[in-house]
Amino acid sequence: MRMDNEDFSQFQDAFFEEAAEHLAVVEEGLLELERHPEDRDLLNKIFRSAHSIKGASGMFGFNAVAQFTHKMETLLDSLRNGQKAVSPSVADLLLRSTDCVKTLIQSAKTRAAVDEETVQRLTAELAAANASDSQPSAVSTNDTAVQPVSAGNCSGDRVYAITWTPPEWLFLRGLDPLQTFKELRSLGDLTGVTMDTSRLPDLADLDPEKCYLSWTMQLTTGKDLKAIESVFEFVREDSKLSIALVTSKGESEHAQKRAAATSTAAFDTETIKPLGQILVEDGLVSPADLDRALAQQKRVGQILVEQKAVTSQQVEEALQKQRQQEAVPLSKKTDTASIRVDTAKIDKLINLVGELVITQSMLSDLGSRFEMRQLPVLLERMVELERNTREIQERVMSIRMVPIGTAFARFPRLVRDLSAKVGKKIQLVLSGEETELDKTVIESIGDPLTHLVRNSADHGIEPPEERLDNNKPEVGTIRLNAFHEGGNICITVEDDGRGLNRDRILAKAVKHGVIGENDKLTDDQIWSLIFKPGFSTAEKVTDVSGRGVGMDVVKRNIENLRGTVSIKTVTGRGTTFTLKLPLTLAIIDGMTVRVGKETYIVPLLSILESIQPKAELVKTVVGKGELINVRGTYIPVVRLYEVFASEPEYTDPKEAILLVLETEEEHVAVMVDEILGQQQVVIKSMEQNFRKVEGVAGATILGDGTVGFILDVRGLIEIARHGNPVAA
Amino acid sequence: MAGAVMGKETKDLHQHAGLSADGSQFLTFRLGEELYGVDILRVQEIKGYTAVTKIPNTPPHIKGVLNLRGTIVPVVELRTKFGMPTIDYTAFTVIIVVVVQDKVMGLVVDAVSDVLDIKMKDIQPAPDFGDKVDVTFLNGIGKSGNKLVSLLDIDRLLLDPDSKDSPVADAA
Repeated sequence: MRMDNEDFSQFQDAFFEEAAEHLAVVEEGLLELERHPEDRDLLNKIFRSAHSIKGASGMFGFNAVAQFTHKMETLLDSLRNGQKAVSPSVADLLLRSTDCVKTLIQSAKTRAAVDEETVQRLTAELAAANASDSQPSAVSTNDTAVQPVSAGNCSGDRVYAITWTPPEWLFLRGLDPLQTFKELRSLGDLTGVTMDTSRLPDLADLDPEKCYLSWTMQLTTGKDLKAIESVFEFVREDSKLSIALVTSKGESEHAQKRAAATSTAAFDTETIKPLGQILVEDGLVSPADLDRALAQQKRVGQILVEQKAVTSQQVEEALQKQRQQEAVPLSKKTDTASIRVDTAKIDKLINLVGELVITQSMLSDLGSRFEMRQLPVLLERMVELERNTREIQERVMSIRMVPIGTAFARFPRLVRDLSAKVGKKIQLVLSGEETELDKTVIESIGDPLTHLVRNSADHGIEPPEERLDNNKPEVGTIRLNAFHEGGNICITVEDDGRGLNRDRILAKAVKHGVIGENDKLTDDQIWSLIFKPGFSTAEKVTDVSGRGVGMDVVKRNIENLRGTVSIKTVTGRGTTFTLKLPLTLAIIDGMTVRVGKETYIVPLLSILESIQPKAELVKTVVGKGELINVRGTYIPVVRLYEVFASEPEYTDPKEAILLVLETEEEHVAVMVDEILGQQQVVIKSMEQNFRKVEGVAGATILGDGTVGFILDVRGLIEIARHGNPVAA
Repeated sequence: MAGAVMGKETKDLHQHAGLSADGSQFLTFRLGEELYGVDILRVQEIKGYTAVTKIPNTPPHIKGVLNLRGTIVPVVELRTKFGMPTIDYTAFTVIIVVVVQDKVMGLVVDAVSDVLDIKMKDIQPAPDFGDKVDVTFLNGIGKSGNKLVSLLDIDRLLLDPDSKDSPVADAA
């Protein structure tokens, strides 16, 4: 029986999630297997995961997945038993099959059409791989040979309309119509069973031992007419029975498409019957007549093409759109975000909440009969409350933390396929996979990371010959690493390739008018040019990189997460991209500072140091531009009160405090009156009810309940340079 | 929040015809001696004046932002917006929290008055003072007894018609 009930959808979600995990294990294992073909444990692991997918998908009625995975499993089994050896071609076949399972599951999820051709081809290949063995398992090969993979349910492919009027003596002979229905159901999908009670006489005239009822129903089954007739064998005598083939499966699909194209209600056996079926049921036309009529009926697209209103190409595109639209809402529905949490984390949280409740009751107890001499106790309790709250906050945030390994998992496969495609030898080294990061961040860094890895593989790593000429090992290395640094997560993508080409970047930048011909740029400034929109130094646009998504998008994506990207490169030695990301999105560590009466929050990440300068360290250029000498380097000074047009307490840098802040490109010293302290703040949106404010990254609620602004360092520099947008 | 859930058509009707046929209820408030009204369905709440945080580099009528149970809400001082002299805030000074499209904003006014039922026949179009006085943000002039109520079109008052991104019109 199919489980397409609403009630099962929640379990289905869990199935899809689990299947994805198992698939990841299979894929990872297969990649590993290519390197260690003899690893029996690994094979067992892969087998177990494949088996789990098969079992679960069968249970949920995703038979296409189950059947296909079964074929994979058969091959895996013979590898496991040592009947076959793991060869590169087998591993490759299994990898491609894994992809196929992935798409099958995807289409089960979105109920989209299945690419039958690929499935069939791979099924055949798997069968061939199985058969090529000296002792083929007869069952499995036969199995693959005869049984085509069907995308739909197992209950068959023909729809019969059955009308049954049992004889009046039915009950007298001890026959139960229910039994007949049970038998019919065992043949396939029995739907649309309706009982005709029109022959029932009034109660006074009713003979309870007679049967006055008749039924109509539809049976979707793979069995033939004989099998259905045999169900009625015992009641056949004197019964009025008609069994008509309404549609075969292929036909019903056509009918469905036709119905959709002519925008009548879609064919659904359980709700609305198609016209043809009703006509047949009413005995107005014979099934054969209907089939002929249906055969002549054309689809809207076809008619339009014949009338030369559209080209078949256009129809095809429109149909494509239709399919996408069909698929989209469903996939949206099933894509509910969920998170798997370690039970230990939840237990800890429950304990903490318990403690919080205790502290709260102690406090309210104290409060109900408070005397001044109990003040120390109260303060002590408050400290406890604060500790509880902070710990709960940390724990709750940690629920959102997921190891970054999930984002890295796709890269071994990617690099394997890439190296084959671009004809280079590349090994990928992953480290720091256990580093935890906010789930949202992990989801959003996938694409930028993929782009960087593709870039390294395509542009960074040289072809094997060139590497050998340069006395480098033939196999290039791409390293992905993740680690904590301060309040940040750093992710590095490092290659030992040729490094960025300074001259080529400069030439390109001049050509595009990004910089002038005689501009003097530091190395860092040159490297950051590659993040400019429309900048690609790739000599040739390949399938791999140089496509739509540029480095500018990478940078923008990372910045949207309040992160930064930096580049280190040595010509001939390699390039390292470093992504610095905040641990979480909602909360940042901030330094609260005061200017006059206003309180601002400076993100702690951007603060390098704070200094109270000696007068002689502050110099001016052309009378206005102020610079401060910080251990030999002159850094521009930005007076926050000038930028924000507010009233400061101090206007003399000697009395004020200078915070040295860093952005990717430069350092700047921001002048404030006083540093108040350090605290974690929850970021609130300004855009929600207002709009973006220059120089302000967001707002937060301060300890006293008022609103404080979180400074946006780069915005500040912009205002300082170009004047403030309103006053100007 | 009623304003936010109001169907688009209804809202358009409100904006164009100004009001529904049998008139509406208006929350009225004072600025000096003058009486103003806003459609009661657009009012989310009224709260006493609390200190706001000034937003840097914004025009003077944008008083600042306040923390309304965790959301950041911009507050507009209507006196400044209308170019009237500012006064010291008193115990009667309140912030009327209104919903403008999907945004929540506060209006600082001298004092709230009554909720008035004003019939359509008692509403006349906003007078035309030419260039001298800008009254484009008025829906009309309502009469209630011997009182004159200027009925505000808060969408036009608080949203910049040229730019959807800049909700509070910057031109003072």
